[in-house]
Amino acid sequence: MVGVFASLKWRLVTSRLRATRGATRAWLIVGMVVLFLFLGLITFGLASLRMLPDVALPVITTMFAVQLIGWVLTPLVAFGVDETVDPARFALLPLRPQTLQVGLLTSSLIGYFPVANMIVLLGAAVALGVPWSVLPIAVLCAAAQLLLCVVLSRAASTSMSGLMASRRGRDLGMAVGLLIFLLYMGFVAVINNPGDGNALQGGTEAVASVLQWTPPGALATLPNLVATGQWAHAGLAAVIALAALGLAWWWWSVALARSLTTVPSTTAGSSPAGDSHDTAVGVGVRGTMQVVAGRDRVLLWRDPMRRMPWLMLAVLTVVWPFLVVRGQGAVFAVTLGAIFCGAQAGNQYGVEGSGLWLHLQTITDRTRARGEVLGHAITAVLPGTVVILVAIAVQAVARDDYPNVPAALGVCFGAMLGAVSAACYLSAALPYAQPQSRKSLFASSVPGQKGRTAAASLGLIGGGLAVALPAVAAVVLSLTVDPAWGWLALVLGPLAGVIALVIASRMTANRYLENSTEIFAVVSAGDRV
Amino acid sequence: MTTSDQNPLSATALPSYPGSADLVRSVVGQALALRGLTKSFGGRPAVDHVDLDVPTGSFFGLVGPNGAGKTTTLSMVTGLLRPDAGRVIVAGVDVWTDPAAAKARMGVLPDGLRLFERLSGPELLSYLGRLRGIPAEVVSARAAELITVLDLDDAGNKLVADYSTGMRKKITLAAALLHSPAVLLLDEPLEAVDPVSARIIRNVLHRYTTGGGTVVFSSHVMALVEGLCSHVAVMANGRIIAAGELAEVRGSAASLDDAFMHLVGASDVQEGGLSWLGSSQV
Repeated sequence: MVGVFASLKWRLVTSRLRATRGATRAWLIVGMVVLFLFLGLITFGLASLRMLPDVALPVITTMFAVQLIGWVLTPLVAFGVDETVDPARFALLPLRPQTLQVGLLTSSLIGYFPVANMIVLLGAAVALGVPWSVLPIAVLCAAAQLLLCVVLSRAASTSMSGLMASRRGRDLGMAVGLLIFLLYMGFVAVINNPGDGNALQGGTEAVASVLQWTPPGALATLPNLVATGQWAHAGLAAVIALAALGLAWWWWSVALARSLTTVPSTTAGSSPAGDSHDTAVGVGVRGTMQVVAGRDRVLLWRDPMRRMPWLMLAVLTVVWPFLVVRGQGAVFAVTLGAIFCGAQAGNQYGVEGSGLWLHLQTITDRTRARGEVLGHAITAVLPGTVVILVAIAVQAVARDDYPNVPAALGVCFGAMLGAVSAACYLSAALPYAQPQSRKSLFASSVPGQKGRTAAASLGLIGGGLAVALPAVAAVVLSLTVDPAWGWLALVLGPLAGVIALVIASRMTANRYLENSTEIFAVVSAGDRV
Repeated sequence: MTTSDQNPLSATALPSYPGSADLVRSVVGQALALRGLTKSFGGRPAVDHVDLDVPTGSFFGLVGPNGAGKTTTLSMVTGLLRPDAGRVIVAGVDVWTDPAAAKARMGVLPDGLRLFERLSGPELLSYLGRLRGIPAEVVSARAAELITVLDLDDAGNKLVADYSTGMRKKITLAAALLHSPAVLLLDEPLEAVDPVSARIIRNVLHRYTTGGGTVVFSSHVMALVEGLCSHVAVMANGRIIAAGELAEVRGSAASLDDAFMHLVGASDVQEGGLSWLGSSQV
């Protein structure tokens, strides 16, 4: 039975390669080679840490712990990335839970992600195996670390599978995604602390001293404990690791048995909608814009897929300039967040999957089509304006950088409106399907459309920058000639942005009306994912 | 970039159709007229030069086995799928030359497509009605009446995402009726719907046709079509193989089901074979 699971997984892993021909297959292979070369580089870097044992131990202890957390959280954020480990798919097969569990473990170990982990762990084993005589123990520990990652990850995801089958559960997954993002920002902020040059090293050592008592930490320190003859400590570390592995295995088996014999509640509904009192009517550009913007405004808060990105980029726009720019000039770093705000108007026709048919039936003329584009645009522009104003105000106050505020405002509004304009046009010119199963906040494309998604995303960033160029020119003058030029940027940025938006709304409406059925066919693919 | 990443939007021009205003004039009295409607996928014809007339005020059933081309035909009629060739006239308007006027005259209930899932039923109706340019108070009054008639009062402000299949069909039907269209185009409206909801939907459709509206609906449930429809068209392999009044299509067969089996050339399961079935001792 293990062989059946292994061959099933192998076929799934290689199916993408088998399905492609010619140049596409060549590029896929080149991509994989580059990826493995990159992994090889990381592995080599890790292995060379054996020259610095004092550094190797805390770094790899921390790495092991982060790796384990990554394995456990990833399925919660992106459940369904590996269909061979979804227990619901095996519920009707006449398999004993023990057989299924061993089979699923085998499946879990076959794939690009586990192999990449194995390669990196090999480098860690070489770094930990000092002297060479303890290398076999280090390799065993690395193997145990991979097993621990896989087993604990599957135990957690199996326990969550019932929850993640419901829409409310997936909404929760998005909240976890936001939490991870905030933790990441906090982590970057801490290690970037410029006040103490040794903060990073000291912090890692302090963290590692605690982590060595955790299962992944115990596995990382075990070779060193054996090499230095600390047998009691080594025994304790081995017990911690093995006990964790045993407990994770037990947890997985219990969760598996439960998930195979109980039906998850899929009737758990959301909070009911409030009463809507919108009275705008879709007559003319303005009326249609108000109707569409009214719906978008409701969904902006109600739909986690729309709300979470706004919360993330609000944090990013305010915090990121602190991380990348020291002192004055940080106000200009708000531009990145401004472009992301504009990006929220992107892929307007793909957000609802095949639900677009409702608009195809009602938005049928040029006037309404323009109204729709502007309605979606205004839903990005209004909150984006608030985010930009707050971020620039925070930077100006924190860095005492008031003279640059007009120029920064000009660049940011130009960039945001430019990104909105590009996002609108690309929505019609380069639409792409968005997964409608909402399994992950970070899964923004469907198989076969990743190229389109990437091109559309890059295109709107380019559009934002291009429209901001007149304001940028004025900023250069304000920094090199006279700060008064900053006021010109404040005029040029929004002016160029508004002109771009007016032109883009007309072009988008025309393109949408010409291609509505083709756009519908492209975005409907999101229903299947 | 894979081959499927290539831009599928290259074919932007409308297909060229034969005839012009003459065809529109010649189909007066027909709620729906199809002429030479054709669509192929990957070189394989899904709908093959279909001609069809649906009289105004009729309850018209489009029947056929799975894969016959019913959904493809209705998708082209409703403007969701661009035909390779042919013309579609709905209530005197060519769908592909004047889509705005045509879509104002039709109400659509497609099969298997999503709705705006995060809106409640009343919000969905309000949004779509106002988007069609109907004043808010009129939309509100009509939506309330439709929700009551379709027995969706209990759903309250529940999001559409939490609706059952029957409720989804009913709210989509409400959206299709909201602007009082001349023609209703329904793709499998009673598929996977519970008996209570099915009865309600049937009653509403009857009231609609009694008021002069035309219903075109696809189904592969013959008994349903026989019980509801005044006219029927049988479709197989992308072609219409029989069309007309129900009695005419049924002919001398005992039921529409029998007539259908005869028309599409299907036969009952033959005797012999499957001898192992039911003998498992495991």
